[in-house]
Amino acid sequence: MATKEEIVNGFIKAIVDGDETASAKWAKEGVAANLDAYELVTKHGGDAMSIVNSKYERKEFFVPEVLCSANALNAGVDVLAPHMKSDKTSEPATVILGVVEGDIHDIGKNLVKIMLSAAGFKVVDLGKDVPLAQFIEKTKELKADVIGMSALMSTTMPSMKKVIGMLQDAGIRNKVKVIVGGGPVTKEWALSIGADDRPHDASAAVGVTKDLVAKVRAERGAW
Amino acid sequence: MGEMTPRKRALLCVTGNKRKADRISCLDTLTTCTVDQMNAVKAPFPEANRDPELAFRLAAAAWEVVGLEGFKMPFDLCVEAEALGCKINWGRIDRHPSVESHVFADLKDLKIPEDILDRGRFRMKHDVELRLMKEYGDYLPVANQVTGPFTVAGHIFGIEKFCIWTKKRPLEEVKEALMTISEMNIADCKRALRSGAEIVCIADPSATSDILSPAFFRDVMVPVYKNMSRKIGAPIILHICGNTSAYLPYMPDTGFDAMSVDAQVDIGFAKAIVGNKIAIVGGVPTITALLFGTPQKVREAAIDAIKKGVDVLMPSCGIPPRTPLENFKALVEVARCMVYQ
Repeated sequence: MATKEEIVNGFIKAIVDGDETASAKWAKEGVAANLDAYELVTKHGGDAMSIVNSKYERKEFFVPEVLCSANALNAGVDVLAPHMKSDKTSEPATVILGVVEGDIHDIGKNLVKIMLSAAGFKVVDLGKDVPLAQFIEKTKELKADVIGMSALMSTTMPSMKKVIGMLQDAGIRNKVKVIVGGGPVTKEWALSIGADDRPHDASAAVGVTKDLVAKVRAERGAW
Repeated sequence: MGEMTPRKRALLCVTGNKRKADRISCLDTLTTCTVDQMNAVKAPFPEANRDPELAFRLAAAAWEVVGLEGFKMPFDLCVEAEALGCKINWGRIDRHPSVESHVFADLKDLKIPEDILDRGRFRMKHDVELRLMKEYGDYLPVANQVTGPFTVAGHIFGIEKFCIWTKKRPLEEVKEALMTISEMNIADCKRALRSGAEIVCIADPSATSDILSPAFFRDVMVPVYKNMSRKIGAPIILHICGNTSAYLPYMPDTGFDAMSVDAQVDIGFAKAIVGNKIAIVGGVPTITALLFGTPQKVREAAIDAIKKGVDVLMPSCGIPPRTPLENFKALVEVARCMVYQ
């Protein structure tokens, strides 16, 4: 039987290589060896995606490679999910994700979803081409901590600004943090429209979201 | 010697011969419709995307309302996907049509029907181009826009799936599919050129280097584009969204006349890389200057682009429909050298 180190390294390598078959195989080995499934996904899966991300940043990897890695992580998660004991110490933070109305480019949003789910957030995916009012409705309904909006076309970016205005009008802007992303969205522009942050990519979204959840919970208390 | 027509000026500037023109050309071969233009000529989205009379009026508004020195058809990027059977969401006055469903499950399912140019809105597009040519053609050029092969592939297969195939399938199969799609683009352009269009704009927004590697661009996209430039036989502008800086060294190999670059690409940098091998067009940021800026901000951006050597003054990407008319007009004013008005 493989050692823990072999399993963890094999799992990480399979994800980085974008190899779904190998990822599922190492996940099964992990189950057989009685490893902590939750840790394997969130910690080691997260580590693997960090490697993928730094390769993406260095322009060694591009979106196709990242998608293959995300699929490999998912293949592992599928095997491990039934064995995961969720972290009961704190209520998981709720994150709403969606690509704004008029935009159907959802690669970036899907990557963020995979990363945040793997990191233990409760992610509610509204999909693509999401009517703006739906962001507000779902935020109230689910008492969300963070909203993540994505736009890949410069023509639909203004919708993000509208949603932030709608949150203000609804009187709930201070109850939820807003992150935005997508190719043409710069951090400068994000801050200028009143968003809280613009993580520079999908794995950075994990750290940013964690910080924002802590911040919003401290500022707001319960919903 | 009479005054140079905008048509002649545009053809010179698009092909990198701006020094032979009397001044820089200002036209927009990308998504150029705004709500202000739609209201001015009473030809709103979504209807104007499908009704030939409204489409003609809205296309003509580029000159009649904004003063842009050329026309382009169509207004959206869904003509190819629609003709191939994708479901289209027609949008609304300030929202472009978008592709809602994909049609082919696998690379090997790809088949372009023989009569593709008689399907969907191809015919309407060419008819409107012909009418524009008849009414304005001696004075202003007409551009035929096609949706580029990679973007069409994203529409008909699903962009994520297609991206994954670029890694998991033999590269030759991927290239073959893109070549097949490019043949549809070529046939479209040939008919458009017979209808009086004189410039071709290939809009391939999905082929951005935010998504694809420069190596994939070099090994797969460049041969596909080369196939198009060899066969189309007209001045061609390629537009790709996002930061395409890493593609610039390979751009002259496409055989295209001009590359339209988005706001993330510095015009001076682009010119330094490609030299005079291919024209660089664009330069005026759609979001910071045109949509959210002021006429003064647009003028400054336009002057900056000219200083850096841009060949045609153009918005850097598709124009957001809510762009104020006065901002759009400021762009044309700079080209007309009425800078400080």
